[in-house]
Amino acid sequence: MNEWTIAIIKVVFIWSWTLLIATVMTWVERRGSALIQDRLGPNIAGPFGLFQPLADGIKLFTKEEFAPKHAHKILFTLGPVLFALQAFSAYAVIPFGDKIVINAKEIVLQVADVNIGFLFVLAVGSLAVYGFVVGGWGSNNKYSLLGGLRATAQLLSYEVPLGLAMLAVCMTYSSFSLREISLDQTGTFLGFLPNWGIFKQPLGFLVFIVAAYAEANRVPFDLPEAESELVAGYHTEYGGMRLGLYLFGEYVNLYTLSALMVTIYFGAWHIPYIDMSAYLSPFAYGIASFFVFFIKCAFFLWLFVWVRWTIPRFRFDQLMGLGWKSLIPLGLLNLFVTAFFIQISL
Amino acid sequence: MAKPVVQRKYTLSERIYLVEIIKGLGLTWKHFVFNFRASLKRGPHTVPTCWQYPWDRREIAPIFRGEHMLSLDDKGREKCIACGMCARICPAQCITVKKGKVQEGEEDRYAGKFYPVSFEVDLLRCIFCGFCEETCPKNAIMLGQGYELAQYQGKDCILTRDKLLENYRSALESGNLKPPRKKVPVVGAKEKKPAKSKAQEKTEAQEA
Amino acid sequence: MGPVKQRIANEDYVTINVGPSHPAMHGTLRAIAYVSGETVLGADLEIGYLHRGVEKLGENLSYHQFIPITDRLNYCSAIANNVAYEMAVEKLMGIEVPERAQLIRIIMTELSRIADHIVLIGILGVDLGAFTPFFYLFIQREEIYEIFEWYNGARLTNTFGRIGGVEAPLPDDFEERWSELKKGLDKAIDETDKLLTHNRIWMDRTIGVTPISVQDALSWGFTGPCLRACGLKRDLRKDEPYSLYPQFDFEIPTGKHGDVFDRYMIRMIEMRESMKIIDQAFAMYKELGSDAPLMAKVPKIIKPPEGEVYHAIESPNGELGFYIKSDGTDKPYRIKIRPPCYMIFQAFDELIQGEMISDLIACLSSLNIIAGELDR
Repeated sequence: MNEWTIAIIKVVFIWSWTLLIATVMTWVERRGSALIQDRLGPNIAGPFGLFQPLADGIKLFTKEEFAPKHAHKILFTLGPVLFALQAFSAYAVIPFGDKIVINAKEIVLQVADVNIGFLFVLAVGSLAVYGFVVGGWGSNNKYSLLGGLRATAQLLSYEVPLGLAMLAVCMTYSSFSLREISLDQTGTFLGFLPNWGIFKQPLGFLVFIVAAYAEANRVPFDLPEAESELVAGYHTEYGGMRLGLYLFGEYVNLYTLSALMVTIYFGAWHIPYIDMSAYLSPFAYGIASFFVFFIKCAFFLWLFVWVRWTIPRFRFDQLMGLGWKSLIPLGLLNLFVTAFFIQISL
Repeated sequence: MAKPVVQRKYTLSERIYLVEIIKGLGLTWKHFVFNFRASLKRGPHTVPTCWQYPWDRREIAPIFRGEHMLSLDDKGREKCIACGMCARICPAQCITVKKGKVQEGEEDRYAGKFYPVSFEVDLLRCIFCGFCEETCPKNAIMLGQGYELAQYQGKDCILTRDKLLENYRSALESGNLKPPRKKVPVVGAKEKKPAKSKAQEKTEAQEA
Repeated sequence: MGPVKQRIANEDYVTINVGPSHPAMHGTLRAIAYVSGETVLGADLEIGYLHRGVEKLGENLSYHQFIPITDRLNYCSAIANNVAYEMAVEKLMGIEVPERAQLIRIIMTELSRIADHIVLIGILGVDLGAFTPFFYLFIQREEIYEIFEWYNGARLTNTFGRIGGVEAPLPDDFEERWSELKKGLDKAIDETDKLLTHNRIWMDRTIGVTPISVQDALSWGFTGPCLRACGLKRDLRKDEPYSLYPQFDFEIPTGKHGDVFDRYMIRMIEMRESMKIIDQAFAMYKELGSDAPLMAKVPKIIKPPEGEVYHAIESPNGELGFYIKSDGTDKPYRIKIRPPCYMIFQAFDELIQGEMISDLIACLSSLNIIAGELDR
């Protein structure tokens, strides 16, 4: 098997895995929210409603694709496409596990080990703004426009704290590449704490997780699609597969952000204090690292759902105030403290 | 007309959003765990707040004001005497009654001297207030427990006399009949003994 | 051109229609908001989408037949409307209602007050993004409905009471139902408190949003929780007591600024006060025994003497008044209903000047505008 085949298999596998996770997330969201709210979620389509995402997918595929009469024909379709494009490309640099050895060939479980790692994620993630604003403008609808504008301002302003937190991580591990950052998180420091990002960067993690919720447009930051205020924000006029692209793109974004959080702050595929590669064969080690990574991601995905149904949402000026007046100073403070500790070589 | 200016004062734990958010998360987690365990149990109606219609049906009170029925007395005769009181008191004017005299030979079908040739209740107008039931002198029209009243065609929503009698018969079979209304005690009224029929007096005299 | 448009004619604005059907379930009202950026410059209000001609219907129905129609006014707390109407007719005719019936009326009115406040707090949460307290509270509202069903036969539009009294005694198992409901309500209100009241996000969204001073509120005609939120301690149950309220021991909560947070907190506290009243009323009811009369002596066909009467009670929303003019026949000459939220809704334009769109929704929710009452 030459390099091209391996690469294509990796791409297809990770792409379909991500799509599967996005689909299962719709089920988790509906069922999890229902169980929090003292009711049952979908339970008719399949046992425990597990085929509900399939039913939803079939519905979205087979719905009539129509655009409102005065919507801009090209922009109306381009919006969801741009959004889905960036969603499905951003996780190309995230390591899903360590090396796996098949037929004496070492395959790294990462689509592309780029040496500018998370800068790529940030850059591609910024394209999400285009998805919102183009979709909102193309719908020719005041509510969508308002939603699109709110989304733009929100996403742009919360990229700064996101970048600042990641910058501090990069300073700690002296590398941009996500694979190197994950490899660095073995062992312990200070005697008993695992060498994970969260113990070295607690403030940075706080800034990152809040900025991640804002980047993903989830409550408490879900003003662009606030249901009771703007009907449905930027996806008011959408139905059928275009809406499907928006919704799936949002869940894929969630997955990317959770995976980033796990990679940078929670030791990627490492279990604390135990070095798995010493006990397992290389093939099993690859699979085990993949699953450890996934379980950690699953916790963060569940956290997204859990927080959504617990707290109310911000008002727009409070949201911007939080981003600019609280998170950016905290991010800068985090940078200074990290620099200080690195200087005294801790 | 100036608006008052309001200052927001926060305690420290309110200022840092996280403390209250984590408390809230703990609360929803408790609910989640309870409902998760309940949803894994087999059988219907395991999550206590969820009735999965049409497999679980909630218990309806016996005095529920649902679909109408015309009742029969214990000899199987129709009680309604077509007096029209229910039609007169209905606030929505949904009852139409046509009176007819009971012919010779049909006396075992009707309890009184008159009977309703046609008795129509328009369910689309009815507001289910229960006044017809309250005012009926013979306790003929009653509101039962039927609440699944949706139909595909408008004309099926007009209950005719036969449908009303059928409602009564099915309620009788399933044992869902409500007891007749008790009169509420009125200020200053002496308790009147109910009028006895001649047959009852005879049996009481025989027993004595 | 409405007065709002004249006022903002020189500014740069966009018209946003918060239309008759919108996802924030308040009933059918329309607010045409003029927005510049995110700031609201004013709002034109349009009501009447739920106008059913209730007052005209009253002229063609007898006094007894009008009772089910009053149910449909403030449909979240139907019993308060019934009681207000019956008390007005009884005042006109000079009938004195026996004590046992008055106790039942008080218990049911307070239960419907709890139900109405549950609706408001749940919907306020949903509008602001907190979806879960809605579910926790509405489960308790189902239990209240069960009590109504076992009393009367209907859950929402119960034609409760008759002119001169009530139509049935409390069901036999009322005591157990009430004690269970009390526990459930306590728990649900506590959980809502924990999820919302001290949460900084909620406080930011509600404190200082659309405050109103006492003088402005009084000049618009506010009554009820919205007026008490401004700081004025006015409650018809204490100021112009009717029925047996002087015998009960309960507090009237007041707010400070009249903003959304105060209106929300007052309703939370009022729910607990209503529970206290129901406890005391039920204790008195048990003492009366099962033979005490439930209806006053009322003629079969009600023909009040010529004259007019106005009687108001403290409904969950404010002062709900009935003005009945009778000309001696068995059908009233004129029934006029004073809906509390009509006066409150008038102030909406002034309240939201200078606020943001999100505050418009929060304000609309917290004023408890119920379209059935607003439009009659």
